[in-house]
Amino acid sequence: MQANETSTVPGLRKLVVYRETLVTEAGARPARPVQQASAAAVVRNPWVRTGPSRDLSEEVARIAPSLARLLTDRLADALGGVAAIEAFGKAAIVGNAGEIEHGGALIHTPYFGNLMREFLEGESIICFADARADAGQPLVVPLWHKTHAATRSHYQTVSTRVPDAPRADEIVVVAAASTGPRPHPRIGDRATDPVITVKSLESVLS
Amino acid sequence: MKVRKIVTVVEEIRTEGGREVWPPARVAVVAAVIENPWAGQGFVEDLGPGIDETASDLGAMLAPQVLAALEQPAEAYGKAAIVGLDGEVEHGSALIHTLKFGDHFRKAANATTLLPAVEKRGPAGVVFDIPLKHITDATIRSHHQTVEVRIADAPHADEIVVALAAAAQGRPQQRLAALSTEQ
Repeated sequence: MQANETSTVPGLRKLVVYRETLVTEAGARPARPVQQASAAAVVRNPWVRTGPSRDLSEEVARIAPSLARLLTDRLADALGGVAAIEAFGKAAIVGNAGEIEHGGALIHTPYFGNLMREFLEGESIICFADARADAGQPLVVPLWHKTHAATRSHYQTVSTRVPDAPRADEIVVVAAASTGPRPHPRIGDRATDPVITVKSLESVLS
Repeated sequence: MKVRKIVTVVEEIRTEGGREVWPPARVAVVAAVIENPWAGQGFVEDLGPGIDETASDLGAMLAPQVLAALEQPAEAYGKAAIVGLDGEVEHGSALIHTLKFGDHFRKAANATTLLPAVEKRGPAGVVFDIPLKHITDATIRSHHQTVEVRIADAPHADEIVVALAAAAQGRPQQRLAALSTEQ
């Protein structure tokens, strides 16, 4: 969780890195020890007091790439390197003076998403959550496999929260990741599923 | 000691009051979610054996981790015990209010003062504030501060969250007159 990187993000107030190392779940050690982490940056919302017709693209190009760099650096650092990361997700919490669209602008364009994918050596679409909320509101961020999104064992979430953010004129931007699957994955996958249709389950549904 | 998970939080403040904070102000917390050693035993009169079994190991595990997460020498520190709903606050106090627990952190941080603490009981996801004070002089005002923590799924009713916190500096933009100016 390195102290002195030089990258600067316009309007950055604070940065919070959260990591969980699971030792046991349901009383048993998982087959693979897994860590989850989130990195959250609190930035000034550059579009507060602008109207819904305002073009967002200039600030996106200026702010989102440095956010992607900073947050993925911190994630990789917290989880033992990019190669250790198997699942990823992202999120934005917009302060109450902003639009959800402002959060989307920072996480849903290539200026953030493509860079996050490339920095974390992924291929999947990055799953996400967004919310408009007062400071201190928790948000659950979904994660899935960074190269094979349909890998069921890796569907998981991490809860993120910054105590004093976002203020009304701020946005919390989050990148999250995990080094492996859920602790005791045992709900099969697409390769082992039986064929299930409404017709095949007619007796159960009736 | 039965550990369910270890949680690490690092906060880095870059601006405060609209002004840059440089170097960034860093605060780290490391928390262990453990089974309450006295869970399911009714009222246990003598907590000594449970303390002996757990407190020193817990301190030895958490102290190096919180300093590693901070990545800088600690100037302020604090501790926490958050007891799940079926336990007593006394169970949390038993684990953290012993020299067996705190000495690991004091030694690792070259500290001399007592660790300020929060003890409370609450449900999983309860928010708690860990107070921090200067590691060698608890009267140094600039270093009085708190860090807020929440673990979404802990403590369960039969668990205790035990945490250590360390700060590399005082409050960002600290500018109160020293205690000595009022004496």
